[in-house]
Amino acid sequence: MTRFIFPHWLILLTLGVGFFVAQAIAEDEIFRPQAGQFPPLEKSHAFRGELTFVDSPNRRGSLRIQGEGTYFRNAPHPFAMLPYGMIRYNGAPAELRDVPIGTVLHARGFLPPDPKLSSVPVLPINNRNKTAGYSGKGIAPAENHLILLEDEPSYCQRTGKIWKLQDMEIQNLTGKITARRETKIAGKLGEVESLTFDASTRIWRGREKLEVADLIADGIWPANGKKALNDQVVLLGITWKPTPSNIFTRFHISDIWLDDTAMQRATRNQTETHKAFIRSRWMPGWINAVNYGKFGTATITATLFGGMDESLYADFQKNTSAMMNAVESNLKHTHGAYSPAHMASKGPILDVVKTKGEIPFGSSGIQIQFKTDLIIEGIRPGRNIRVRPGHWPNVNIPREEYLGGNTPEERFPSPAIFPKY
Amino acid sequence: MALLQMAKRMVRSASIFLLLANSVSADDTPFRPEAGTFPSLDKAHTYRGELTFVDHPNRRGSLRIQGNGRFRFTGPSPFAMLPYGMVRYHGAPADLRDVPLGTVMYAHAFLPPDPKISSVPVLPFDNRLKKLGNAGVGTAPAENHVLLLEDEVSHCLRLGLIWKLQEVEVKDNAGFIIARRESKTESKNGQMETLTFDAATRFWRGREKLTAQDLIAEKIWPTHGKKALNDQIVQLGIVWKPTPSRVFMQFHISDIWLNDIALQRATQNQIETHKTFIKSRWMPGWVDAVKYGQFGRATVTVTLFGGMEASLYADFKKGQRAMLASSENTLKHWASGTAGTAQMASKGILTTITKAKGNIPFGSSGIQISLETDLVTEGFRPGRIVRVHSSRWPILEVPRDEYLHDAQTTHEDRFPTPAIFPKY
Repeated sequence: MTRFIFPHWLILLTLGVGFFVAQAIAEDEIFRPQAGQFPPLEKSHAFRGELTFVDSPNRRGSLRIQGEGTYFRNAPHPFAMLPYGMIRYNGAPAELRDVPIGTVLHARGFLPPDPKLSSVPVLPINNRNKTAGYSGKGIAPAENHLILLEDEPSYCQRTGKIWKLQDMEIQNLTGKITARRETKIAGKLGEVESLTFDASTRIWRGREKLEVADLIADGIWPANGKKALNDQVVLLGITWKPTPSNIFTRFHISDIWLDDTAMQRATRNQTETHKAFIRSRWMPGWINAVNYGKFGTATITATLFGGMDESLYADFQKNTSAMMNAVESNLKHTHGAYSPAHMASKGPILDVVKTKGEIPFGSSGIQIQFKTDLIIEGIRPGRNIRVRPGHWPNVNIPREEYLGGNTPEERFPSPAIFPKY
Repeated sequence: MALLQMAKRMVRSASIFLLLANSVSADDTPFRPEAGTFPSLDKAHTYRGELTFVDHPNRRGSLRIQGNGRFRFTGPSPFAMLPYGMVRYHGAPADLRDVPLGTVMYAHAFLPPDPKISSVPVLPFDNRLKKLGNAGVGTAPAENHVLLLEDEVSHCLRLGLIWKLQEVEVKDNAGFIIARRESKTESKNGQMETLTFDAATRFWRGREKLTAQDLIAEKIWPTHGKKALNDQIVQLGIVWKPTPSRVFMQFHISDIWLNDIALQRATQNQIETHKTFIKSRWMPGWVDAVKYGQFGRATVTVTLFGGMEASLYADFKKGQRAMLASSENTLKHWASGTAGTAQMASKGILTTITKAKGNIPFGSSGIQISLETDLVTEGFRPGRIVRVHSSRWPILEVPRDEYLHDAQTTHEDRFPTPAIFPKY
């Protein structure tokens, strides 16, 4: 019997070639969102980090992303919101301007849909696997175009999670809390995490905004020492502050919501902020189809983007008037200083259709059919628009939120503003 | 008669010429802050505007400045904080990161001390007098290096002002408030101003955070219609939102503090935020003198910058240990590879602490400290910026965007250029 004995080097070579082939195939199958299609949330890359920079009018900013290494060394990592990307703060829709710098956010990102037009640096596809010195792996993923960016309470509410406080240790109004984040309904224990708090931590109880000093004065927390908190259920707002004693990654509690009423009030406040914002900047969406008529008339089918308060969608009613304006990927209005209302295509909403079944993330599932007698440039399938029901206030937006000169840099902001570390 | 007309024209021309000559002469000697001297607040140009952009690690940002035109046409105007410039929010010291975008801020500012290294655009001296289209005059002053940047509440508390509410008009949890801002002690009536509020406006009453809906539920405000508010004394937080009905300039109320306790609690919260910040980033100041000894020894005398909470200054005690680190005009630290600021800093004993008597200039704390170190590092020279760490404070590492890496740092890192600001 003949035995085939493979030398070790051949086995290693074969495995090595196999690995590279597999990787090449994986890289061939890289996923990028495409115009006119909402990408599945499951295909996104998830990470979290501290918001360190915001360019609100261009819907981009930077996060200090949590990796495997020394957190404070992690350079801020630029991100851009996809046109249909949602920001959520305190459990409600938000704009980047609403989120305080320092807030730790959970992100779901994709590769740039069109790298040529990316407003943030385009990185090698495997960048999330690269080790960057003491920062470790995972701090600069190429998936920097976000479909979802949400703070801790928004994340917990969306995924049905709560924080259970275990115990606390306090000295001079500052200290540590150990807590577990786990599913509200299932019994599986979450991992115990140690977080800091200090005298500026806000504690919300019903209508009240309290401080650590108040809890001590009320006899709820000790002035000094430890106390067991016995799985007290709360929601937490999380930030990051430099940590002592060679602790490389530990987060800080900015807010504790002690009860549902307190959280609901915070959510309502942010909801109202965002409602006023969308009414003045108009509802974003994209064009599904344009049916051209004669002499500039057209019937346009558009899908409204998701994640807004329901009352805003309810303002779109059949046989009411509306305006539609072309916007860029950063949702900036085009057509200059005359104001969006002055330049927009006007006409009636012919129909409002709510999609049945599963609605993809990023979409509202609502399609409107809009007829105009003067279609403007920019309203083409796959392109982004903003729509205003006739009864929303007719206001003019500030200078940095519309395109004035239509220069390429204004339409497609370059990543040049982000510092290199 | 014709001669008289001609003479009048000549006098008028001469007057205009003299006026122009005077302004040119005035422009020839513009005031700029100088290293090692705190400029007088009275010499600052004052304006107010909406905070639209923040680059907090470089202590700069943009304001949409209120001019005499249409506010919405006004492009954000970049500003940089002077190293000793103070930010105040809710009546307490703050960092730019603490101030929400949209907040209306009051600024006291100067021309760039050194235009060559300005981190924001350097503009013609007379730019504050230029009409910039529909935005009008005053929206982009050359005085963009800020000594004091404060929100409405801080402004009112500093100047002893209060808001007296006259009338509210409500519809769907939103509406208008007519109010006067006037001196707490003098009886002179302030000018009436109409401001908007909405369902997101926060009302603070003692420990409570309320909304317009709560005030309506408690029958303090009507559901719809007008109500006289009879000079109700409050403090206001002010922002800007786009305004309907061709109103070109109207501010919006973000917060109303209904009583002193509510405001004191907001102030205390911001004080605690900033105390933690300064303890981790160290107290800024500048070097007054360096007396060199032998073998790297030196005694460095430093003036601590002003505007911090008193307990932070009290942490510097004679005979205690302290650390001194050179810093940039942006107040950024230096670090080196794995070595953090504490590792790189000069260490020593505080040999003297003196408190200046009399009139302390704005920007200064009036407190001078002397530190004797056995290893003086580069950057401690008279007029240069430092940060000082009290031995009572925790030793922490600042994040990557807040330090300069000594092996990798470029001129752009040390002296950020204005290139990031869009041109409108």
